Amino acid sequence: MSPGIGSWITLSSALFCIGLAGVMLRRNPLVILLSLEIMLNAGNLLLVAGSRYVGGNDGHVLALTVMAVAAAEVVVGLGLIVALARRGAPLDVDELRSLRG
Amino acid sequence: MNAGGYGWLVLLSPLVGVAFNVGVGPSVSRRAVGWAASLSVLAGFVFSVLALIDLLGRSDSQRAIISTGWHWLSGGSFQVDASILVDPLSAVMLLVITGVGFLIHAYSTGYMHGDREEKRFFAYLNLFVFSMLLLVLAGNFVFLLAGWGLVGLSSYLLIGFWWQRPTAVAAAKKAFVMNAIGDIGMALGIFVIWDHVHSVDYATVFTHAPSQIGAGSHTANWIALLLLVAAVAKSAQLPLHTWLPDAMEGPTPVSALIHAATMVTAGVYLVARMWPLYGLAPDVSDLVALIGVATLTVAGLIALVQTDIKRVIAYSTMSQIGYMFCGVGIGAYSAGMFHLVTHAFFKALLFLGAGVVIHALHDEQDIRKMGGMARYLPYTAGLMWIGALALAGVPPFSGFFSKDQILADALARGDWVGYTVWGLGLAGAFVTALYTFRLMLLVFHGEPSDYARRHGDAHAGHGEGPFSMLWTIGVLAVGALFAGVLEIPGATHGMRNFLEPTVPAHLDPTGNQEFGTSALAVALALVGLYAAHALWGRRSDAPRRIAASTAPLEHVLQDKFGFDRLYDWAFYRPAVALARGGQRLWEDAAVLGSMNAVGSAGSWTSRLLSAAQSGLVRVYALAIAIGIAVLAAWLITGAS
Repeated sequence: MSPGIGSWITLSSALFCIGLAGVMLRRNPLVILLSLEIMLNAGNLLLVAGSRYVGGNDGHVLALTVMAVAAAEVVVGLGLIVALARRGAPLDVDELRSLRG
Repeated sequence: MNAGGYGWLVLLSPLVGVAFNVGVGPSVSRRAVGWAASLSVLAGFVFSVLALIDLLGRSDSQRAIISTGWHWLSGGSFQVDASILVDPLSAVMLLVITGVGFLIHAYSTGYMHGDREEKRFFAYLNLFVFSMLLLVLAGNFVFLLAGWGLVGLSSYLLIGFWWQRPTAVAAAKKAFVMNAIGDIGMALGIFVIWDHVHSVDYATVFTHAPSQIGAGSHTANWIALLLLVAAVAKSAQLPLHTWLPDAMEGPTPVSALIHAATMVTAGVYLVARMWPLYGLAPDVSDLVALIGVATLTVAGLIALVQTDIKRVIAYSTMSQIGYMFCGVGIGAYSAGMFHLVTHAFFKALLFLGAGVVIHALHDEQDIRKMGGMARYLPYTAGLMWIGALALAGVPPFSGFFSKDQILADALARGDWVGYTVWGLGLAGAFVTALYTFRLMLLVFHGEPSDYARRHGDAHAGHGEGPFSMLWTIGVLAVGALFAGVLEIPGATHGMRNFLEPTVPAHLDPTGNQEFGTSALAVALALVGLYAAHALWGRRSDAPRRIAASTAPLEHVLQDKFGFDRLYDWAFYRPAVALARGGQRLWEDAAVLGSMNAVGSAGSWTSRLLSAAQSGLVRVYALAIAIGIAVLAAWLITGAS
C-alpha cells in the first residue's frame, strides 16, 4: 500500500523548509544554489503527488517544465559563481553587497 | 486681362522675389539676389501701370474692381474670401509702392554692397513690398489686417537688420510694440464692424454702414476711433510717434522706403479708404485733423534741434504725414493722397541723398561733422536741393502744389478745425523751411569740417558713389520736380478727378482762397529760407546765442517734448516694477518654491527608502519568504 497524499505533502513541505533554511542560513553561494534546487524539487514532488491524487497529467507536465527551467537557472547560477571565483571575489553572499542603496 | 488680374500679378511679383531669394538665394551671387529683388518689384510696377491703363479705359462708375481669388476662411456665418480691390485709390498706392520701391531696391544694390548679409536684406525688402501691396490691395478687412501686421513685421526685421547693434535691436522692438498697439486697435475696430454689419467685405460694409451703424452714433465713433489708433501707430503721429526717429537705426534705404515713402503713409491711406466710415463719425474726423496738426507742429519744432541727418528727415516725415492727416481729416481726401504721392518722391530723394552723404563719409550721420559737402558731392547736393525745395513747398516743386492744396481746402472748410489746420499749417510751412534749409546749409555749405575734408578728399578720386545710387536719386528728383503738374490750381485736377469715383471731394476752394494760401505759404517758406541762411549760412554763434537765450524751450525741444521720458515713467518702469515684484512674491516664492519642494520631497523619500536596499541577499530571501508566508496564510484563511 502506497503512502497517502498527506505523507507526500509532509515530505515536500519538509524538503521545502530545509531548502529555505539553507538559502537563508548558508553564506556560500554554491550551497545556496543547492538549497534552491531542493526547494524547487520539493515543489515538483508536490506537483507529481497532487497530479497522481487528482488523476491526470497536468502536474507531470508542469513538473517537467520546472525541471527544464531549473536546469537553465543552474547554468546561469553556476556560471556566475565560477566567474566570481575566477575574479577572486569572496564566495560569501554577505561580502557581495555592492548593490547596497 | 483686366485690372483685377493685374492686381493679383502685382501682388505676386515681390512674393516671387521672396521665394527666389530665400530658396535659391544662398547658392547664387550677391549681385543676382539684388537684381532678382529689384526686377521682381519692377515687374510689379509694370503690372501696376497696366492696371492703371485698364482703369483709365473704363468709365468712372466701373473703376472699382473686386477680384476674388478663392474662398479663404469660413466658420458658420463668418465668410472671408481672398479678394482684392483695384480702384483708383489702390492704383495710386500701387504705383507709388512699386515705383519708388523699385528705385530704392536698385539703390540698395549699391548701398548694401559688401554687407555680410546682403541677401537677407533683399529677402526682407521684398517681403515688405509684398506686405505693403497686400495692405493696399485688400478687398476686405481681414486681408487688410494681414497686410497691416505683415508690414509691421517686415519693418521690425529691417530696423533690426544690423542685429549686432544693441540700439538697432532696441529700436526694432520699440517699433514693433508701438505698431502692435495699432494692430490691436484695428482688430478691435474690425470686431465692432463685424458685430454690427456681419460682414468684413469692404463693399458690403460701406454699403450697409449708414443703415446698420448710423451717422454720428456711438458705434460709428468707436469704429472710427479704433481704426484711428491703428493709423496713428503706423503713421507715427502723436502720441504713438516715438518709434519713428529710433527706426533710423535701420539701413538708409529702409528708412527711405518704409519710414518715409510707403509704410508710414499707410495710416493716411487707411483713413482715405475708410472714408464712408469716417463720414459717419465727423467728430473723429476732426480728431484726425487735430492729431495731424499737432504732429506737424511738434515734429517740425523737434527737427530744428536734431543733429543726426537721418533723424532730421525722420521728424520731417512725421511732420509731413501730419499734413496728410490734416488733409484726410478735414475731408480733403484727394489732397491728402496727393501729398502722400509727392512726399513719397521728395522724401525718398532726401533719404537716399542723405544715404550718399553717409556713404561718402563712412557711416557718419552727425551734421555737425559735415559741412561743405557740395564741393565733394555736387550732383547729390543739386538733387537734394530739389528735394529740399519740394519739401519746403517752394514753387514749382511738387510739394508746393500738394501742401497748399491741403491748406486751401482747410480754409474752404471754414470752421474752427479748418482754420486751426490752416493757421498752424502755415506756421508749419515756416518751420519746415527753417529746418530743411538748416539741414542743407549745415551739410552741404559753409566750410567743411576736418572730418568732412579728410573723407571728401579721399573720396574725390572715384565719383560720388556707385552708379546704382546715383541714377535712382536722379529719377526721384525728376518725380519731385514734376509730380506737381497733376494738380496745378486752376489748371489741372488729374489726381482729384482720378480719385473722385472712390473718394469724394467735398471741398472746393475759391480761386482767392487758393491764391492767398499759396502766396502766404510761399512767403513763409522764403522767410524760413532767409532766416535759415542768416542763422546757419555763415559759421556764426547766432544759433548758440538764441539757444542760450531760450534755454527752457531749447531744453524741451532737445527732450523731444518729453514723450520718451513720459512713456518710460508711465509704462516701462511700472511694467518692470510689476515684473520684479511678481518675480519676488509669486514666481520665486510660489512657482519656483513649489517646484523645489516637490523635488526635495522626492529625493528625501528616496533616501529613506534606499535604506531597505541592504545588498544582503539573505535579507532579501527572508523578505520574500515572509511575504510568501503572509500571502499563503491569507489565501488559506480566505479560502476557508
